[in-house]
Amino acid sequence: MEGKTIVITSGKGGVGKTTATASLGAALALEGKRVAVVDMDIGLRNLDVVMGLENRIVFNVVDAAKGKCKLKQAAIKDRRVENLFLIPASQSDNKDALSPELMKQFAKELRREFDFTLMDCPAGIERGFENAVAAADEAIVICTPEVSSVRDADRVIGLLYARSITPKLVVNRIVPAMVEKGDMLSHEDVVDVLSIELIGLVEMDEQVVVSTNTGIPSVLQKGSVAGEAFRRIAMRINGQPELPIAVPQGQKRFWKKVGRKLGFGK
Amino acid sequence: MLNGILRKILGKGGSREVAKKRLKFALVYDKLEVSNDILSDLQADVIEVISRYFEIDKSGLKLDIQRMEDKTALVVNTPILSAKRKVIAA
Repeated sequence: MEGKTIVITSGKGGVGKTTATASLGAALALEGKRVAVVDMDIGLRNLDVVMGLENRIVFNVVDAAKGKCKLKQAAIKDRRVENLFLIPASQSDNKDALSPELMKQFAKELRREFDFTLMDCPAGIERGFENAVAAADEAIVICTPEVSSVRDADRVIGLLYARSITPKLVVNRIVPAMVEKGDMLSHEDVVDVLSIELIGLVEMDEQVVVSTNTGIPSVLQKGSVAGEAFRRIAMRINGQPELPIAVPQGQKRFWKKVGRKLGFGK
Repeated sequence: MLNGILRKILGKGGSREVAKKRLKFALVYDKLEVSNDILSDLQADVIEVISRYFEIDKSGLKLDIQRMEDKTALVVNTPILSAKRKVIAA
């Protein structure tokens, strides 16, 4: 059976695309799938360090897509998670090194080899975005509960629709206490504005910093709420779309619980 | 919880409501952004249609998108030289 290619995109930079790609890739591999994560940010590669595989790069996505090496040579095997592979970006080329046509060809090869291929899309909506999206069957849009991020997500969703892709939404870095105080957009607000299907909610989690510091995916860290959320998103991607989406609650204190019961929450 | 009670009593919203309002406005604005190409195509079409009924000063025609607080309007302004007599088809 042919695999699926999914682009992880956002428009705005710094909202957690790379972390999401690494986490979802690891989680899908833990589910027993054969997974490739592809860094499409040509010239500014980062997925390799987030995954702790930066010392093992020989070939990259440009080499593989152009046929300068075999796909198997460019795919770095993760030693901690079985069936997880990284195809790193090239650091020396620029974004014109790839083209949408080339990526469409390359995607065929990826679908044959892997159950899931996750593309970490660069920020912006220029050539790098075009390249990443050209190879994708599906899309996941990551956004944070901030005005700038949601606005960019809206733009990207429009561009994806124009390419006949119906994206799904992950709201990342939710701070429940701020939402409760009325100082942060809630996930309902975001979904209301963007009106696309939600596939997961991820709470702000300091463990993610630790995870990128050490290069160990957050889904492998015990007690990481973000890691747990990404694992559940991976299950939804992997044939359990009906798995309920939990709303981040944060640390609940006694009086807050009482307040919520009395209707003073939110 | 105290915050919640105070907010309920005073009816004061946090920055969340401000954010949502600004976001909705920004998205509406973004979608109304019309490229100059489209605007000049529209201008050519408008001139053609009006010219069927009026003699107009084509160089004096102005086409503009005006944004107000809660509405957006397309404003066409043109000097009319004369009305055209209807030619009755034989």
